[in-house]
Amino acid sequence: MAGAPARRFEFEGRARESSGAVPLAASLSSDRVPVLQRSIRYHRPRAPFCGIGYCTGCLVRVNGAPNVRACRYVPAAGDRVRTENAWPSPRFDVMGALDFLFPGGVDTLRGFRRPAALTGAYQRVVRRLAGYGAPPTPEGARVPPPPPIAREVDVGIVGGGPSGTAAAAKLRAAGRNVLVIDRSADPPAGAPDVPRLRGTVTFLPPRSAPGDPFVLLGFSEPDQGIRVTAAQVVVAPGGYDGSLLFEGNDRPGILTADGAFALARGPDHPPFRRAIVVGGGPRAAAVLRAFGHRVEAVVAPLAIVPEVVRIASELEVPLYPRTLVERATGRARVRRLRLRSRGKGTRFDLACDAVVLAHRRLPSTQLFFQAGARVEWRAGAGAYFPVLTTDGATTVAGLYAAGSAAGAVEGDAAASGERAAEGLLRAAGPATAEAASTPDRSELEGYYRELLAGRPGGRWIACACEDVLLDEIEAANRAGYRGIEVIKRYTGVGTGLCQGRYCLPDALLVLALLEGRTPAEVGYITQRPPAVPTPLGALAAIGTAPPETGGP
Amino acid sequence: MSAPSRSRYRVVVVGAGVIGLYTAHHLAAAGAGPILVVDRGFLSSGASGRNGGGVRQQWETRATVRLARESVAAYRRFGRDFGYNLWFRQGGYLFLAENDRELARLRAVHDLVRSEGLPSEILDPARVAGLVPGIAAGAAVGGTYLASDGVLYPFPAIWGLYEDVRARGVEVALGLEVLGVDARDGRVAAVRTSRGRIETEIVVNAAGGWSADLAQRAGLPSPNTATRHEILATEPMKPFLDPMVVRVSDGLYFSQTMRGEIVGGVTGTNGTGVEGGMPTSPRFLLGMARALVRLVPRLAPLGVLRAWSGFYDDTPDGFPVIGEDPRRPGFVHANGFGGHGFMLAPAASRRVARAAMGETVDLDPATFSPARFLSSERPPSVERLQLG
Repeated sequence: MAGAPARRFEFEGRARESSGAVPLAASLSSDRVPVLQRSIRYHRPRAPFCGIGYCTGCLVRVNGAPNVRACRYVPAAGDRVRTENAWPSPRFDVMGALDFLFPGGVDTLRGFRRPAALTGAYQRVVRRLAGYGAPPTPEGARVPPPPPIAREVDVGIVGGGPSGTAAAAKLRAAGRNVLVIDRSADPPAGAPDVPRLRGTVTFLPPRSAPGDPFVLLGFSEPDQGIRVTAAQVVVAPGGYDGSLLFEGNDRPGILTADGAFALARGPDHPPFRRAIVVGGGPRAAAVLRAFGHRVEAVVAPLAIVPEVVRIASELEVPLYPRTLVERATGRARVRRLRLRSRGKGTRFDLACDAVVLAHRRLPSTQLFFQAGARVEWRAGAGAYFPVLTTDGATTVAGLYAAGSAAGAVEGDAAASGERAAEGLLRAAGPATAEAASTPDRSELEGYYRELLAGRPGGRWIACACEDVLLDEIEAANRAGYRGIEVIKRYTGVGTGLCQGRYCLPDALLVLALLEGRTPAEVGYITQRPPAVPTPLGALAAIGTAPPETGGP
Repeated sequence: MSAPSRSRYRVVVVGAGVIGLYTAHHLAAAGAGPILVVDRGFLSSGASGRNGGGVRQQWETRATVRLARESVAAYRRFGRDFGYNLWFRQGGYLFLAENDRELARLRAVHDLVRSEGLPSEILDPARVAGLVPGIAAGAAVGGTYLASDGVLYPFPAIWGLYEDVRARGVEVALGLEVLGVDARDGRVAAVRTSRGRIETEIVVNAAGGWSADLAQRAGLPSPNTATRHEILATEPMKPFLDPMVVRVSDGLYFSQTMRGEIVGGVTGTNGTGVEGGMPTSPRFLLGMARALVRLVPRLAPLGVLRAWSGFYDDTPDGFPVIGEDPRRPGFVHANGFGGHGFMLAPAASRRVARAAMGETVDLDPATFSPARFLSSERPPSVERLQLG
């Protein structure tokens, strides 16, 4: 956005300037990630991690509204932004002492019961520690909320990446009235011209009757409601980079590839100087292509594909295939990674100022699940995908899938969008295939089996939003609790702001090992609507009739 | 999941929710003999894992006030008795009246609650505004408030009870469905399950939303109806709201959990019968958001984190069904709690256990006994404060 007018805003009481439409977190990053948060239970330092508006690493307060994702929020002139949940600052927070005082963790399930006379005092203290931001003040709310955007189209297309755009272009050429709904403001470079709406679809309920249109509900950031009715829907929301379990895996500076791209202000300004890239597949290659000159090493939990080998050798970046990531250390930020060669067991350390997780791409399947489409476990990818026909029809009539959420691999995305469009035009489907969960183990299960055998204690953060430790998941298993649904309720894993995106996929693999079952037997990762936290104000504005009430 | 180890038990409790587990606890403590608890789902898969955790003692009938008061005392002791912290926070229940008619109704509740020795208060709009920061001007003409009501975490109650009963030798079989109940000489003789036949003298129907279905499988038509209700949770924030707030007109209710989320719903059903599953409806999500933002406008920027639904087990008169079914000796009801099972569980299940053992129970049979639905007489009273 060169040449865009500068925007002056205030951050922590000091004047700042950003050029053009740069998200806050990127404008605060200068060769390293900014520490913006403290975690909920132990007040551990946290920084932007996911870069796409899901995790708790970058929540800030903007003009009296809490929990604003700095990685998504583009500051407007005159905004007042400050950090929360830390004093005096996220980098030096007095409550960070909790992390040292309770090395074995804080047991909120069984602890704080005695003496009974202190119950009220415990509750007051714990309540103050919980939560992230302070409640909204009146200036934080737009009252009344902005009027919603309402559209009626033939085909609603969720996701404006290569697959969604290709599907839209094909359907439009066939005379269908289409609308692409995508979170980003701008279409990908060179994309065909199709009607677009900036927004996030967060709720796609099943149709009330087979002939009825689908209703897509969501919001346009920050708080405008969206309601799109469509006779058919193509869901192509893509995927995201998964997390990884190791000791200290929540250290600032450890972030996903999505996060690295989101925080970079151009290829010369990624949020690090010497990163370790974790992963050996296409996503790791993409990170190397973008920021290779600032990459120290490539560490792959599994094998390394030739493309990564080629780029890395050009850049003279060392490769460590089939390596376990055991521990990250550092004070405010990650400084060192302890690694172990798989099989041989040789341990070695690498210095770094960031760790970029690019080892695992996970599909965004929330909307399929919401709409009632069946999903199946695919062991190779280690994830659930919608059950589909070859032309992208789901088990729900009129609902199609495209892109990586439909299992398309990189390079095939546009073609998968076109296949879904052709399927839709032919009224193909719905899929009737039984969900055939593959019995094979995923390779990542083997990785975790090796990593966790004889694991030392320490802060292995199984769920960063809620500060749930891997120890707690193991303890729940020892106490006789089985299945992801019960473990989720028992430990709180997956109940935080990211809605389980970053913790549950790995928790499922670990539980499969602990329970001696396949991940599919451990359970499906239920994803309750909305797919992304949606402001009450946006929903309120869409609201038509209030719910029918019984009452007295 | 663990399969039953025996082919015969003294008691089979159907439903591993708070009512079933508490009943098993009381039965085991009384030495009732081999006990099996079964559940068709996983632990906490029903309403016991889906409710908002509200526990109140403000009711329209004396019988319910007394059960609720006893339950509050039990929940205060729960940490000591069962080893898990419920985080039972007694921040009060605030009922809001939007007009004088509603306020008059609340006044009657207030008088009854006070006559039972509980210090309920009538609040003017200024005090209401003090308890609900940011409430819209003119949103309430007043309300009633009882400081010892509160909100707890339902899950630890289930874990504590589950571990307690297992330590007492009770078996808990999950993922096991009861297909039928066999009788011999008119008495309960066995349950037929998805994993075979299990002989037993006593069946406790604590199946919540599935109670009418289970009764039907035992050949005992039940007047209970499963109704689906929805609820949502927002992103967490620092302490903001102490009481559970309930609006009388439409049953809007919400509180702030220990974790900082606003959790709430609108009383009023979104469908009947368990067949439709537990979806979230746009009508609820949008209507609930609108109701909340209208009442407390400053909540508008707060994100809805998740929404879910569960089943109430409603009875025609609003009272639960507690006691042996006169049509089938050995078949004991512990159901029909109308969305308030958690509130009444400790006190109610103590009486269920006594009834199962054939002991006398200090509950008015005309109000609580399953026999009341078998006669054509009108019920002596109706509990209508089925809110929040």
